[in-house]
Amino acid sequence: MSRGPCRLVALGMHHALGSSLEEIGPRLVAGDQDGVVQRDDLVPGATGFYAQARGALPPLPEALSEYACRNNQLAESALGQIRGPIDAAIERFGAHRVGVVVGSSTSGFSEAEDAFRERHVSGALSPTFSLAQLEFGGLCDYVARASGAQGPRQSPSTACSTGAKALLSARSLLDLGFCDAVIAGAVDSLCRLTANGFAALHAVSAGITNPMSANRDGLTLGEGAALFLLTREEGGVQLLGGGESSDAHHMSAPHPEGRGAEQCMRAALADAGLDAEDIAYLNLHGTGTPQNDAMESAAVARVFEQPVPCSSTKPLVGHTLGASGAIEAGFCWLVLARRADGDRRLVLPPHRYDGERDPALPAIELVESSGDGFALDVRGPVALMSNSFGFGGSNCALILGDARS
Amino acid sequence: MTELWLQGWAAVAPGIDVASDHAAWQAWAADPRPLRGETRPDVKFLPAMQRRRCDGLSRMMLAVANACCPESLRGDALSVFASRHGSFDTTVSMLETLAKDEPLSPTQFSHSVHNTQAGLFSIWANDQQLAQSLASRNETFEHGFLEAVCLLARSGGRPVLFVTGDEALPEPVAHLSDDPHPPYAVGLLLGSQPVETGGAGIRFDLETGQGADPQLAWPRALEFVRWWLAKDECLALGDSPRRFSFRRQS
Repeated sequence: MSRGPCRLVALGMHHALGSSLEEIGPRLVAGDQDGVVQRDDLVPGATGFYAQARGALPPLPEALSEYACRNNQLAESALGQIRGPIDAAIERFGAHRVGVVVGSSTSGFSEAEDAFRERHVSGALSPTFSLAQLEFGGLCDYVARASGAQGPRQSPSTACSTGAKALLSARSLLDLGFCDAVIAGAVDSLCRLTANGFAALHAVSAGITNPMSANRDGLTLGEGAALFLLTREEGGVQLLGGGESSDAHHMSAPHPEGRGAEQCMRAALADAGLDAEDIAYLNLHGTGTPQNDAMESAAVARVFEQPVPCSSTKPLVGHTLGASGAIEAGFCWLVLARRADGDRRLVLPPHRYDGERDPALPAIELVESSGDGFALDVRGPVALMSNSFGFGGSNCALILGDARS
Repeated sequence: MTELWLQGWAAVAPGIDVASDHAAWQAWAADPRPLRGETRPDVKFLPAMQRRRCDGLSRMMLAVANACCPESLRGDALSVFASRHGSFDTTVSMLETLAKDEPLSPTQFSHSVHNTQAGLFSIWANDQQLAQSLASRNETFEHGFLEAVCLLARSGGRPVLFVTGDEALPEPVAHLSDDPHPPYAVGLLLGSQPVETGGAGIRFDLETGQGADPQLAWPRALEFVRWWLAKDECLALGDSPRRFSFRRQS
């Protein structure tokens, strides 16, 4: 298949670092953890750390009240930030040529939990509950209706790789001519179902997650939304490539040597026509669980013979599950977009942890700094990679960067 | 417009729960009576431990995946799993557990994700190729097919296994559904070229216009099976203004 340019024209995000790119950009490179808060209302009898979306959530339009849930409010917040470019795309290409590929692993679970609690007490689900809040496809339907896009619409859902894979599905719709622009990304919201589920798997950190540390003991859950607008235009930040694979190993544990992780990183490089040394920064999946960090650092060390600066941004925004692939691609986008014209310095998000490297892990180069981030001098076109790995052994690596001639 | 080849198919629904029973589907397509009876297809091909962890949807989807994906392709197919509600019985069971403030089962939690069936299939088939899972309300079949068409263009000549299905919704939410349907699963093996064993061509397109007939009696995946077996010329699905058209290649 011939592949043309794929421009990530615009980005809207809302998560623990804030509700606009103006807020999020500086906090990202400063390693801000103020959005991680303690809550005792999610897991019975347990207080834990959660990276909660910072800032007010917008109400949904009255006409779309059937979709009312926290997850769609996060979607609305991100959508509101890119409405101008979406309106322009609809004007230019026609509403039927604008698609929606926006996924989730939680959809409106938190409202469903309330509805089922009501049923447990009173015998009936709350009257405000609707299937459109709970079913995964309710999210793409909401984004389509709220934006006016009338092209194909689907909600991918592959656990923690959802948001990354959404961007590759969107690119295919552009490449094959089914769409001229696509709103793509993912949204997940904190809820008791995932909080209790990961607690049952003993995968939750006692403190704030501490990836790649000898003392790491699990993940910190987060929530958020990241929505991009993709077109076939040249220029700007490009989606240069992506790779997807399956572990074919276990439903909730990664392959111990990172077989699928390595395969998807190599596939992404091949897809982008790049070598490992062309990658200037890698945003790790870096959940902070013993298993993920062991297998991921092993896979990274095999793919990158020359060390590449890496960081996990999950200590800042938590593990936003289905949304993480889109949010972390969003961080790569911000690093690229925040370069001043002619500025050859990239300011990278720091890897926040206790500084006690696990000597049992293969040595990878972590972006260790405090304060104003870590600046890297670069020459020529820049490419950054982001990793996402999920339940069911679903893996995806994305490469964002400058177009190459 | 995309041309592709249907290299194999399988389906299960109440009363037709042997996935490879094309004759039973042929009889149904000629005279589509209500589907009644058991939908508990045989998944003896799975190892016992995996089989125990299969809910109803996983049994149905894995049964059709196995029946339409020949052993020679196993481990080499890209796949798309599309379901509107996924393992909804499991989700509802977890919501009921949470309502009582009781702890969740870790196995139930890890088998409740929307890509459960894709994960189980990849583990059973030792298939490390990419697998996608998605939903799109009552257009789930169409968008799953579209995703499969997109993967076919990226697959380097490998076939794409498209599996779609849903269970009937469980009691606490069944009354909220706008599309009551029998439990079913359909598997299609799509290729970019014909195969020696036969198969036939389909021209697929996404257009603007009148979508699915609102009077359609069956889940859209079963409407596709009926169209295919009845040898009608064109099937239009999608919700207007999206028109997903399927045309038989003569």
